Amino acid sequence: MNEYLVLVVEDDKPIRNLITTTLKMNDYRFITAVRGNEAIMLSASHKPDIIILDLGLPDIDGVEVIEHIRTWSDVPIIIVSARSEDRDKITALDKGADDYLTKPFSVDELLARLRVIQRRLMKSENISVTEFVNGRLRIDYASGCVHLDDEELHLTPIEYKLLCLLAKNVGKVLTHKYIIQSVWGTPADNSEASLRVFMATLRKKLSDSSQALIQTHIGIGYRMMKL
Amino acid sequence: MTANSIKSSKAFSVFKDSAICLVVLTAATLAGYAFKAFQLADADIIMLYIIAVLVISIFTSKMYFCLISSLVGVVLFNCFFTYPEFSLSAHDAGYPVTFVTMFITAFIAGTLANKLKRNILIAEQNAREKEEAALLAQNEQLRADMLRSISHDLRTPLTSISGNASTLISGGDTLDESARQQIYTDIYSESMWLIGMVENLLYATRIEDGRMQLNISVEILDDIVQEAVRHTERTHPKRNIIVDMYDEIIPVMADANLIVQVIVNLMDNAVKYSDEDSDVTVSVRRENAYAVVISVSDHGTGIFDEEKEKVFDMFYTGGSRSSDSRRSLGLGLALCRSIITSHGGTISVSDNIPNGTVVSFTLPIGEVDLNE
Repeated sequence: MNEYLVLVVEDDKPIRNLITTTLKMNDYRFITAVRGNEAIMLSASHKPDIIILDLGLPDIDGVEVIEHIRTWSDVPIIIVSARSEDRDKITALDKGADDYLTKPFSVDELLARLRVIQRRLMKSENISVTEFVNGRLRIDYASGCVHLDDEELHLTPIEYKLLCLLAKNVGKVLTHKYIIQSVWGTPADNSEASLRVFMATLRKKLSDSSQALIQTHIGIGYRMMKL
Repeated sequence: MTANSIKSSKAFSVFKDSAICLVVLTAATLAGYAFKAFQLADADIIMLYIIAVLVISIFTSKMYFCLISSLVGVVLFNCFFTYPEFSLSAHDAGYPVTFVTMFITAFIAGTLANKLKRNILIAEQNAREKEEAALLAQNEQLRADMLRSISHDLRTPLTSISGNASTLISGGDTLDESARQQIYTDIYSESMWLIGMVENLLYATRIEDGRMQLNISVEILDDIVQEAVRHTERTHPKRNIIVDMYDEIIPVMADANLIVQVIVNLMDNAVKYSDEDSDVTVSVRRENAYAVVISVSDHGTGIFDEEKEKVFDMFYTGGSRSSDSRRSLGLGLALCRSIITSHGGTISVSDNIPNGTVVSFTLPIGEVDLNE
């Protein structure tokens, strides 16, 4: 039996059935909610480990649900949205959602997202404040050194800032807006283009051409995977 | 527009028209003095005022400007050019008749000119409306064709999905395992086809007047290609996809989601029209300092020369030589062309050596000045 409890918030019955059947087959425990207010109540009373949240709910907006829950909890939230709601997706991520699934999604995709979150939950129990290790990558925050295996990488100040930001939010999709605000402070006209180029050079230095470590989410942002 | 601003724009128009009257009549009077200096007859000066009224009628919007300027013209002529000068009286007994004739002539000519102007404006507007209506009709036609084609082609997979599902519901347990497995596979592949179709339709709705509404920014080409390849690897896990590009960061000016969709469509076609054990290749090379060429090639049966241009037409499905006799809406490549031309690029088909098809398109290279 899986020890994780998943709260599924989805008003569409077939999709809710699909998600819960998948969870059941993979030994997750789950509770379900149809409305936003119900979801807020359940997440307070049952303290789920992961929340799967549809953005289009009958009573209140999914983004509102995230805002509510984020006032007291850091529980990982995976949002589910239709393709046409790209903007809502970004807003939801900015408000603190961790990941997203776009309808129509496959069962494999859903399980992959859950695994990413689980890996993060497992690892975050023994985090160190001075060092970050992820696969071949090692960041020593105290000395500001970055190693890939035993080789030291030479990063520019911005590349280092970007890498640290991604590392601190490992497993979480960070939006362009969030990254730009965190790294540059005030956004300029060329911020987004700059960010893309810096990410590309950083990825090259990390020998990550297959995007195994840092994923690009087109039109949304970036995420470092927990390896 | 608020009531206030309508009022003020009306007042401005009256002011402007009055200014036109003043300027034109003054000019006529000055010209009249020049005529008089050259000893020209009264009739010529009267002509000047009639011309002035004509000009005023053309350039002002209201009929009463024509009426007023005809009257003022008569008064000015009387005042400045008939004896005694600078008075409103005329000594010659013939003058009142002249004045009345002058007024009537000026007024009728002015009225006609004004009417003519209005007719021209109306004709222009009609022509414009007609053009818009034609364009609208063309779009409507496209939309109607699309709807007809879609509802026809969507019916088949939907029939298969609903039929198969109802078989499973009503008598699933009487079927043997392999038959059930076949039904599951069919439902899955039919719905995957629908998913791909809907994606294209969603983008097709963004086409207006033959052009795509774009959301252009500087993107890294590698990100776009990787995303498209990942997508195709997910939908066709059995196929071997080769990515052939330099280890170089190429910024392009693009609507990333749309270009991903273009590459996905091209790779879908490449997969569809070639053998399962053959490779599909995506390659990228710089054409020059301003453009990059992205090509998708397969080792399938290829496309006949006479069909090469037609494949980009909407709803053109050719002789359907797909390996698994899959349906096609003839929407994918048309959408690709629309997306690429809206980006200022070109798209074309050529033959792969020794066999197969290469579809290539260009994208403009972007410039980034880094924010360090």
